[in-house]
Order: sequence, then structure tokens, then C-alpha cells
Amino acid sequence: MEHVDHILIVDDDREIRELVGNYLKKNGLRTTVVADGRQMRTFLESTPVDLIVLDIMMPGDDGLMLCRELRSGKHKATPVLMLTARNDETDRIIGLEMGADDYLVKPFAARELLARINAVLRRTRMLPPNLVVTESSRLLAFGRWQLDTSARHLLDGDGTMVALSGAEYRLLRVFLDHPQRVLNRDQLLNLTQGRDADLFDRSIDLLVSRLRQRLLDDAREPAYIKTVRSEGYVFSLPVEIVGAPA
Amino acid sequence: MKLSMGWPRTLASRLSLIFLIGLILAQALSFGAQYYERYESAKNTMLGNLETDVSTSVAILDRLPAHERAGWLKQLDRRNYRYLLDEGSPGTSMDMNMPEAPIAMTSIKDAIGMEYPMTVTDIPGPQKRFQVHLKLSDGSPLTIDVRPSMVPLSPWLPIVLLGQLALMLACTWLAVRIAIRPLTRLAEAVDTLDPNTHPVLLDEKGPTEVAHAARAFNAMQARIAAYLKERMQLLAAISHDLQTPITRMKLRAEFMDDCVEKDKLWNDLSEMEHLVREGVAYARSVHGATEESRRTDLDSFLDSLVFDYQDVGKQVQLSGKSTTVIDTRPHALRRVLVNLTDNALKFAGAAELLVEKNADGSVSVKVMDRGPGIAEAELAQVMEPFYRVENSRNRSTGGTGLGLAIAQQLALAIGGSLTLSNREGGGLCAELKLRG
Repeated sequence: MEHVDHILIVDDDREIRELVGNYLKKNGLRTTVVADGRQMRTFLESTPVDLIVLDIMMPGDDGLMLCRELRSGKHKATPVLMLTARNDETDRIIGLEMGADDYLVKPFAARELLARINAVLRRTRMLPPNLVVTESSRLLAFGRWQLDTSARHLLDGDGTMVALSGAEYRLLRVFLDHPQRVLNRDQLLNLTQGRDADLFDRSIDLLVSRLRQRLLDDAREPAYIKTVRSEGYVFSLPVEIVGAPA
Repeated sequence: MKLSMGWPRTLASRLSLIFLIGLILAQALSFGAQYYERYESAKNTMLGNLETDVSTSVAILDRLPAHERAGWLKQLDRRNYRYLLDEGSPGTSMDMNMPEAPIAMTSIKDAIGMEYPMTVTDIPGPQKRFQVHLKLSDGSPLTIDVRPSMVPLSPWLPIVLLGQLALMLACTWLAVRIAIRPLTRLAEAVDTLDPNTHPVLLDEKGPTEVAHAARAFNAMQARIAAYLKERMQLLAAISHDLQTPITRMKLRAEFMDDCVEKDKLWNDLSEMEHLVREGVAYARSVHGATEESRRTDLDSFLDSLVFDYQDVGKQVQLSGKSTTVIDTRPHALRRVLVNLTDNALKFAGAAELLVEKNADGSVSVKVMDRGPGIAEAELAQVMEPFYRVENSRNRSTGGTGLGLAIAQQLALAIGGSLTLSNREGGGLCAELKLRG
């Protein structure tokens, strides 16, 4: 029998969780809806799920607390997608820092939620990340650079911020999550596409060359991202997680 | 007009002037009164003395034997008159009854005029001087040489007067300073009043009126901050509470069968959602950013912004290089540029970004389009919240009228400035100037 992904939806608004549940069910997913953290814990006791959709703004235990709890317990491998009502950069950042795999700002379109869910599932299945970034250690260090995984930019040796476009960040993140491992173009494309469903496809080669420029990497003798002929690319340096800057 | 021309501009100089003139006039009056009083009493005393003294002296000289008289002259000499036993010096004779005759002469006449017939001569010279000539009973001549003068003023008097003047100046300066300083401080505080930052409280100590003003100012500051906060909370609360029904409606709309009505509903909901988000964003931008400033490589920042647009197929180009690292709040800066770029995309379908380093070290980022532009008269107004250009396609494209207002608020918050102008050949140019 084919595996049907089981999605747990945690939202205090009854209509929203039922509408979301029905929509996802209509699109071939198995869904369970619960109203709060207590019900979520009870349900997870008996049934493992493939992904949890978690609302941030809830009375009692809010989404951020629940996400942290999930990440420190036995469900730490279960992907979490956060729903945030506030359109505020800091909320998004906090959501990702708490260990959420993605977020969506309310009001959202159900089809976008579906696309995000599929992307997160695909991403986590295809290549589970080697590194687990947590809120206290969210910097990935490699060579002379550090990547801030919550603010999504690079920091150079003296702490100057070097911004990355969305696609550049996602590609770099894929490389850093799987260092010293050859990734082919299909894998890179799949893992990089992730967030925006209707992303205008850039060829991976173009993205890699942009990323090399950003890292001040010499394209003829790259130190960071090396080309493996007829296979793909490899991130050649070791990566380590360091604590947040003071 | 004439009065106002001479009237100094500052309150300090006006107060000083009033104090000084008043004090000096009062001082001069009291000095004048005292001087006059002293003059009068001295004169009366002196003339009284003169009458008895002259009549006594003349009587003594008259009764003394002629050879003893010279020996007594010394004892009879006074400060401003003395006796001579001769005809005196030549001079012009004076009429006893003329009105300007010295009062000393009248006194002498009153004292001895009855017994001794006399003539008076005026002795010309730098100092006023006259002589009274008479004959003693034995026929020998006697001259009274008179040099009328007041008792001279003490040499220390000018010093005392100068001291008084200095004291008045010092007191005036001090009083004016004490009166003006709280006013200056209050003006400065109002000038720098920015409800978005932490309030700078005035010192509530000092004289009653000053303390009262300071308390009133602090209270006003707190009220403004409270109003702003309330407005923010109201906007945030409305938008938050709207988000849940909009989410529900959007979800419901997705269950509807595809039809024109569904698309229309969907567009309406998206418009509402947009307005709600922009409303919160505007409230936040006015309230000041909480984001921390950080060193940012401007070129990579603009590159990443433009690539994000290009990656979703938008016509956005970047030219120029600044090679600058600036201190800024990246989210706020990004929001400013995104709003400007979105505007250009909405009205022209394409945006050109141009970054330049200016001679004064500042950096300009221009967001330009070839759209319809904005009438010169409306250029300033479009940055006001909820203002919409009348003839624009805004209604059909669904703008909130907040995009530019947010951009301007945030530009100010990051220490930059935003100016709009129409381009030659059509289109709009929004220039964001940042300190280098």
C-alpha cells in the first residue's frame, strides 16, 4: 500500500483548521486537526505524523513554545511548518530559529500551503540535513565566512553583512547542510526550489556562479564550491556550527 | 515701526535693557535727590555761618588796634574767604542788587551792610572770585576776598558709583539668565522632541514656575507617546483580527468552483489583505524601527534584492557600484527599496536601479521607471499616507496609498532622505540618499 502523508494541523480557530484539513484531504493527504498544544501532545503519543502545521498565535502554549518542545523531544525529526498571523520580520526569524522548517504568513492561500508542505516533505526526505541548527547556535562557519541562518545573510571576517538573494541563500544552505558531498543538478534544483511554488527557475549553474561571486570565490580555481565534471557540484570546505554573536 | 527697530530681538537683551535702564534711572534719581539735599543744607549752614562769622570777624578787626590786626588775620581766614588789610585787587565793580549777584555777597551785605558801606568788585579769573571793600571805623581799608565754592565731592565717590553700576550689571545678567535658561531648555527639548524614541525628560527641579512647565512638558510628552502607542495598538489589533476572517474567506474561496465570481472574490480578499499588512507596516514605520543597525555591504545588498525580483521574472535591473559598506538597518532599507521598486513595476512594468557614490561621501540609490510619472504639484503629497494620485491607474491596480508613506518614514528612520522627481523623457525617479 502506498504511503499517504499524515499532516497534523494545530490551530485554535476551528474554521481555519477544518478548512485547511479539508483542502489538504481533497488533495490526497491524510489530515488530523487539533485545537491546542495539549491535544497535539495527546495525539502524538499514539500516532506519529509526517509533518505538523503549527499556528504561532494561540492561547495557552503558543506555536513557538510548542515548536521548541517538539525539537527537544522525540519528535525532533518531524518537519514543522509555522503559520504566523503577524507580518513582521522578527516573527519569521524567530519561527525559523525555533526550529521550524518553513513558515507561512496569514492570510495564506490553501494551495500555497499545500505547495509548501510538499516542498518541505521532499526536502527533508531527499537529503536530511547533516547539521541541526538551533536557536542558540545559528551561525554556520566555513572558510572566512559565517552564514546567519535566521537573518539569512553572510557575515565576513569583520562582521560586515553581505546580503544574499532568496535563491542564493537556499542554494548555499543546501551546500552547507551537505558539505563535502557531491550533489547533482537535479538534487540541487529540488532542494533549492523549496519555498516559493511559482519560483521562476534559474539554472543551477547561474546560481552557483552568482554564489561564487558573493563568496569572492575564483570561478577558475574555486575554493568553496567546486565543479565535479559531469556530476554536479561539491562544497569542499568543512562547516561548523557556532554560537550566535554577542 | 520706529520703536521696533531699536527694540532688541532676544528676550534676554530686552529684559536686560529694561532692568538696566530702570536700575540706572532709579539710582540716578536717588543720587540726584541726595546731592540736592546735601547741597541745600550745606549752603544754608554755610551762609548762616558766613553771616555770623563775617560780622564777628569784622567787629574784631574793627576793635583791634591797627597794628595788631595783621596778627589776627590768620585766625580769621576760612576755607573760601579771607580778609586783606588793603584796597584789594583791581576788578570790575558789581551792582549789589543785581539778581545774579552771588548769594554769599547778599549774606555779607545782610550781616554788616548796615554798619559799613561797601563796594564789591569781581576779580576775573578761571575761578569765580569777588572782593568786598569796606572801611573800618578808623578809616583803614578792609577787603574780604571770597571764593565761593561747594565742599568738593569725596574722591572715592566715582569709585562707589562705578561699583554700583557693576553690581547692577551683574545682578541683571544673573536675573536674566535665571529667567531665560529654563525657557531655552524647554525650547531645545521641544525641538528635539521625537515621540518615536525614548522620551528625554526635563529636570523637574528649580523655581515653582519652571518646575511646573517642566512637569507639563513631560506630561505632554508622555501623552503623545501614549497616543502614538494607542494608534499603533489599534492598527495592529484591527489588522490582526481581520487576518483571521480573511484567512477563512480565502480558504473558503478555494473550495468554490472556478468562475469569474471566485476570481473577483479572490482579488477583493487580496486587496483587503494587502491593506491590512500595509496599515501595520505604516504604523510600525511611524513608531520607529526596533531593528538594530549593522554594517552592510551595499553592493551585495542591492544585488540580492534585484536577483530576488529577477528570479520571479520581474524586469528589474541594477547599474552602478558603490563599493561602500554602510551602517544601516537592513530590513528597513530593503522595505524602502522594495516599496519603490514595486511602485515602479506597478506603473511601468519595469524598474531600473542606479547606485552612485556622491562627492560628499553619501550614497544615492535611484529607483527609476518609464511610467506616467506624477504631476509636479503632487510630488510632495504622494508621500503622505493614504494619498492617491487622482489620474493614476491606482484604483484598478489596487494600491493602499501607503507604500510611499512607509518608504519615506523608514528612509527617515535609517537617517536617509527620499525625494521624488520626474525624469526627462517621462517616468519617475525616486532617490534615496544614505549617509556613507
